[in-house]
Amino acid sequence: MVKEIERTGLPVVHVCTVTPISMTVGANRIVPAVAIPHPLGNPGLSREEEYELRSKLVEKSLRALETEVSDQTIFES
Amino acid sequence: MKLQLGYIDISGVEFADKSEIKNGILYVNEKEIVAEVLQDEHLKAARLEITKPGESCRITPVKDVIQPRCKVEGPGGVFPGWMHKVDTVGSGKTHVLRGVNVVTAGKIVGFQEGIIDMTGPGADYTPFSQFNNLVLVVEPKEGIHPHQYEKAARLAGLKVATMLGELSRELKADETEEFETLGIKEGIEKYPDLPRVGYVMMLQSQGLLHDTYVYGVDMKQSLTTMIMPTETMDGAIISGNCVSACDKNTTFHHLNNPVIAELFKEHGKTLNFVGVIITNENVYLADKMRSSDWTAKLAEFLQLDGAIVSQEGFGNPDTDLIMNCKKLEERGIKTVIITDEYAGQDGKSQSLADADAAADAVVTGGNANMVVKLPALERVIGSTEFVNVIAGGHDGSLQADGSIEGELQMITGATNEMGFNKLSAR
Repeated sequence: MVKEIERTGLPVVHVCTVTPISMTVGANRIVPAVAIPHPLGNPGLSREEEYELRSKLVEKSLRALETEVSDQTIFES
Repeated sequence: MKLQLGYIDISGVEFADKSEIKNGILYVNEKEIVAEVLQDEHLKAARLEITKPGESCRITPVKDVIQPRCKVEGPGGVFPGWMHKVDTVGSGKTHVLRGVNVVTAGKIVGFQEGIIDMTGPGADYTPFSQFNNLVLVVEPKEGIHPHQYEKAARLAGLKVATMLGELSRELKADETEEFETLGIKEGIEKYPDLPRVGYVMMLQSQGLLHDTYVYGVDMKQSLTTMIMPTETMDGAIISGNCVSACDKNTTFHHLNNPVIAELFKEHGKTLNFVGVIITNENVYLADKMRSSDWTAKLAEFLQLDGAIVSQEGFGNPDTDLIMNCKKLEERGIKTVIITDEYAGQDGKSQSLADADAAADAVVTGGNANMVVKLPALERVIGSTEFVNVIAGGHDGSLQADGSIEGELQMITGATNEMGFNKLSAR
């Protein structure tokens, strides 16, 4: 899906836990997620802590979306 | 470490007033065994059913398959950490009931369990159609959580297998085999010219009832470690998972690991079977990186020339598999991986979720997405009510006439990645 959307000219950020798979399938902007059963959250955290985690993940993804890349890039921090 | 396996051949199973083994027949007192199983407060009801190869019979939903064994000499007891204390097993002598298995079935999680057909096309895909099966059907008490029930069902199967194994304690084995693993120095001195080969066994550890236990330890909480191959023959590793039943290792598979069996056969002839590394398949990327680093580190420390890696499951564990392979190959250790494929119903899609050029020697257990048609059978042990929702099934899998259409992944052991099956490809 990442590749098909990019083919139309829209940049895509792939938020995913297993970044090596994302690299193998050819995503260009990759943001590491939390864990496979809960990529975008963490049931171990309190409601407030989890909200902060999620909000940071979205902000990081938006920043990745507006960053120019010349090669496949994992946005670690 | 040296272990003798004494095989007690079992040609049939019958209900009787007294549980015993006589002239190759296993007689089972159902009442006695059910009473023992129902000691567990999480279980409401339990019953036993017997089926044999060739019978028009379908068992579903299947959770686990366990071969009864009994430790007759040496330290510890079978299934350490569960049925016996955690003393180190794998030496001395163990009796194996050959020809009969305990199958745990019943509504456990529902969608996670598998199917065993005793005849027809389905029987060709599962090795468990070739055994006398004593099926333990269990029912949970109302209101208990799925993870409590999973554990209760898991332990009930081990309990029955242990009780039946005990019946062979005083018997004379029909056949005996011996397996020995030498110390590192001894092995090098004895076989200086043979290539040093190790086995890397990946264990399902994704959580949410997809777990494997080693001496009672949940493998997702462990780092990669080593185990003596004969320890596996005493039940040191047990299954706690069965979703997409085709490529999950049942406890039977762990007791009868064909990779270990073959490596022992070649040991001292074409290779030096150095040992077994066990590693996990966790759901955090950092765990995957750490565990595969550890695999490569142990393999290098053992100075392996070659390694065989078997996977359990598919999807994100493909990444663990490829990481293990890549990191072993980077250290100059020639590596063969055993996996299976999810290549779509037409077989035309990418087989694994991850790939690398280092994985240039691959053995496949078959395509789990392949569609199979299973005719209605006369008898059902358990219930077919979950066929539409088990992994590999779809809405409409169970047809009005009782036949089933679905993907191969429904069938227990069909594409096993230890190679305990007949499917493969060239």
